[in-house]
Amino acid sequence: MNGDYSKFLQTFFEEVTEHLAVLESGLLILEQNPNDVEVLNRIFRSVHTIKGAGPMFGFTTMSRFAHEVETVLDPLRNRKFSATREIIDLLLESADCLKMLVEAAKNGTVIDESKTVRDLEARLETCMIIPAPAPGQKTTSGPSSTAPAAPPPVTSVRRTYQISWIPDEDLFQRGLNPLKLFEEIGRMGTIRSCVLATSRLPDFADLDPQRCYLSWTCTLETEYPCADIESVFEFAASPGGLTIASLPSSSSSAKPTQEADPQLAHSVIGEEDDPRLAEVFFGQRSDSLGVILVEQKAVTPAQLAKALDRQETLRAKSKDQKVETSMRVDTEKVDKLVNLVGELAITQSMLSALGARFEIEHLPILQERLLQLERNTREIQERVMGIRMLPIGTAFSRFPRLVRDLSAKMRKKIQLAISGEETELDKTVIEAIGDPLTHLVRNACDHALEPPEERVAAGKPEQGTIRLNSFHEGGKICITVEDDGRGLNRDKILAKAIKQGIITGNDTLPDDQVWALIFRPGFTTTEELTDVSGRGVGMDIVKRNVEELGGLVNIKTVTGRGTIFTLNLPLTLAIIEGMTIRVGQDKYIVPLLSILESIQPKADMVTTFIGKGEGVNIRGVFYPILRLYEVFNLQPQHKNPAEAILLILEAEGDRVVVMVDEILGQQQVVIKSIEENFRKVDGVAGATILGDGTVGLILDVRGLMKMARQEQSIAV
Amino acid sequence: MTAVAAQGSGQQQGIGAEDNQFLTFSLGDELYGIDIHRVKEIKGYSAITKIPNMPSHIKGVLNLRGTIVPIVELRTAFGMPTIDYTAFTVIILVIVRDRTLGLVVDSVSDVVHMSQKDIQASPDFGTKIDVKFLSGIGKSGDKLVALLNIDQLLTEGCMQEAAAATA
Amino acid sequence: MSRVILVVDDSPTMRGMVSHALNEAGFETKEAENGKDALIKLTTMEVGGTKPDVIVTDINMPEMDGIELVREIRKLSAFKHVPVLVLTTDNTDEKKEVGRAAGATGWLVKPFDSELILKVIRKVLP
Repeated sequence: MNGDYSKFLQTFFEEVTEHLAVLESGLLILEQNPNDVEVLNRIFRSVHTIKGAGPMFGFTTMSRFAHEVETVLDPLRNRKFSATREIIDLLLESADCLKMLVEAAKNGTVIDESKTVRDLEARLETCMIIPAPAPGQKTTSGPSSTAPAAPPPVTSVRRTYQISWIPDEDLFQRGLNPLKLFEEIGRMGTIRSCVLATSRLPDFADLDPQRCYLSWTCTLETEYPCADIESVFEFAASPGGLTIASLPSSSSSAKPTQEADPQLAHSVIGEEDDPRLAEVFFGQRSDSLGVILVEQKAVTPAQLAKALDRQETLRAKSKDQKVETSMRVDTEKVDKLVNLVGELAITQSMLSALGARFEIEHLPILQERLLQLERNTREIQERVMGIRMLPIGTAFSRFPRLVRDLSAKMRKKIQLAISGEETELDKTVIEAIGDPLTHLVRNACDHALEPPEERVAAGKPEQGTIRLNSFHEGGKICITVEDDGRGLNRDKILAKAIKQGIITGNDTLPDDQVWALIFRPGFTTTEELTDVSGRGVGMDIVKRNVEELGGLVNIKTVTGRGTIFTLNLPLTLAIIEGMTIRVGQDKYIVPLLSILESIQPKADMVTTFIGKGEGVNIRGVFYPILRLYEVFNLQPQHKNPAEAILLILEAEGDRVVVMVDEILGQQQVVIKSIEENFRKVDGVAGATILGDGTVGLILDVRGLMKMARQEQSIAV
Repeated sequence: MTAVAAQGSGQQQGIGAEDNQFLTFSLGDELYGIDIHRVKEIKGYSAITKIPNMPSHIKGVLNLRGTIVPIVELRTAFGMPTIDYTAFTVIILVIVRDRTLGLVVDSVSDVVHMSQKDIQASPDFGTKIDVKFLSGIGKSGDKLVALLNIDQLLTEGCMQEAAAATA
Repeated sequence: MSRVILVVDDSPTMRGMVSHALNEAGFETKEAENGKDALIKLTTMEVGGTKPDVIVTDINMPEMDGIELVREIRKLSAFKHVPVLVLTTDNTDEKKEVGRAAGATGWLVKPFDSELILKVIRKVLP
């Protein structure tokens, strides 16, 4: 294959990744319905595509392995064989191996696990044992051979391989004789055809008789696995010089060995033409269809070597470059956007025209067109954000396999129900939510769901259910992980928390605060650590990750019945809902998600406790007051809390009350980075551009609390 | 106000640059110069948002077509008293180590060309500001121009954290 | 007026690479992702008064595979005589015979050699 196709590598990998996903999900469906022909065809096509496209980029191992998988899938889809549980397990293992091969190809790492690949290939080759042939049919070694007969093959399936071999040019100088190699192969089975390629022969004048310019392609029918054939050529070919492809056995049909002399090509093709053309066209030599397209094949290994070289250069180059990421976008979304931009252009030119000769009586038209502009811009903004949105199904896709494996490992019966996969959210959020979700699901499998006997004893169905759901609500996205397992045990949690010194022996905590304890670092109620979860490092990370995304985690549970975790996430990371507040002349923005409540306190609610500082009593709970103007050194309008507004904010489970002068309003706010040109500022999470073009600062609630604590400790 | 496009960000100091062109501006009755390669743009003064708990020479941040840019009050940085802004007050946007920074100055003058021999190292020459901010003194016609060392500005005070953060 | 070639394959990578090779040689290309899609594209072209000079198709595709596509194409009077080249990984006699019987003009094997494809195409262009 000539030409530079390196720019298609990325598309190739994207496509292959999709096909791998189809393969895995298809296999899982197949487990439930082993005879679903449609699924079989689908996964066959996916593996077939991987096999076919691989060689174009030099990925021979990947392609050869895919071929082995395909060879097993073919009889399945043609109903010559029915998929047993063992076969499906083997196929799933193979899917994993394929995934690994693709990763290795992507990262340019050498595949070290050639043993795994070989093992799986051997197992794939033997998994559909056809009854062994009667003793007389086995090929025996010729009496003339002085070498010992090859050991009997492991499998009794007779396969046909096409071996393309381009020897190193210094073959002769290394004492190797091609004839001997062919004899050895001949002992392993039957050579059906063998064709010589002379394309590398130089002009006679330049010929060096000590160099080998010849190459061969032959078909071998044998019961030996591919690995054995390869070992014959072990010292005779450099990487890329040997290609062994497994052929469906019909291609070796009883056509006698022919030397495809290209010069004999029939006539419609002129003599000066490329001899390969003879093999492409139908209708000239119907009897020559048995001849393999030699020239073409013989060229392939060399092209392969070239492609491998190119890949090497690419890898060297790409190590220095930044990793490029790309994403698939629904063309419909892009089309709508194109239309909107068109509308924007029209609105803009209408405004231009108006502005050129503006008179005051045109004012209503101006206002109308400005409104139109606002609509256009808002819609474009929404749609552009929508482009980065993908269905959450991609984040859910790993779970069927995970639950299946975990339930087998733990000997529990667990089924997974997924809904809401089409709910869309920002690509970055999807990527970041994977780990927290995985931990929650593992946790459910490990701790929450009981073993079958326990469930039955409790009057529950033997099979436990984990439900993943996702939906939009109130401008946010909700993801729920629900199980019908044990539920959280209040007493156990409290006991553990007290033992770990997280809380004092205070039994009167409201339920939701008790559940929140499991998010504390290091907290775990399991006695022994399983390797799945239970190390106590998971839940707090889940909460932290979700909060870093600007979201919240919520727990509802009923002891004995089950638990539901709800993740509340913003639709996109770059935009948050903010509440604008004023302190003196300065405005700040508070992330809406952190605001629990805002109140105008009465004077008797505000008290000062010795040792605790100033605080406010809200419905019996005492909260410290953070005077924003003190922390930020501003000039406030009000210094008396009773005249000001108090915002009850929450971050990381802690609550604080912040005092401000006025709440100005709520708006969606695009987050801009301060660090890009400046630096991180304490108490400030980011910046935004306000309606008047000035910069607005977004408060970092966690940071503020830290600053307040520091000030307090200095003051005391 | 006119914007001046810089030719690339260039990491050179004011002295020794290939063509020795400087944008001159005034603080009080003193004339200063910045290597033209470091100047990204000149902007009229517009509302600056204060950043809490910063040293006094960091005035705050500004919105430059969607990017947040920190603004330094040069008078304060150099220990001079501040004055009320006038119609001539401008912000010079400069590039320091891949970051954009704005400097508030009284007014801008011309871009002058100075050859190597017109520039001397800066002894105590009677300028009002700390010598560490200067990379030299140049002569343009009959005027003396104090050439600023922009990078030094970045390592002073608060900006130090920015430098450390990028490391 | 430049020649138009319809490239049919369910793999976007494959379509991209074949189109690329053809475009480099000066051919205009149109793409379809399976047999059914290809028929739709052909009908659209017919309505617009054009038709492809050559069709290059894969075999293994969802909805309608390459062999069926060839059969359907041969049924349509407008496209009966358009050369159809099959580009596939399958190199067996059986499959090739099926292709020939369905009406394919030529049989090319993946991984493809762009030089060879171009030679074949130039050969079949009227």
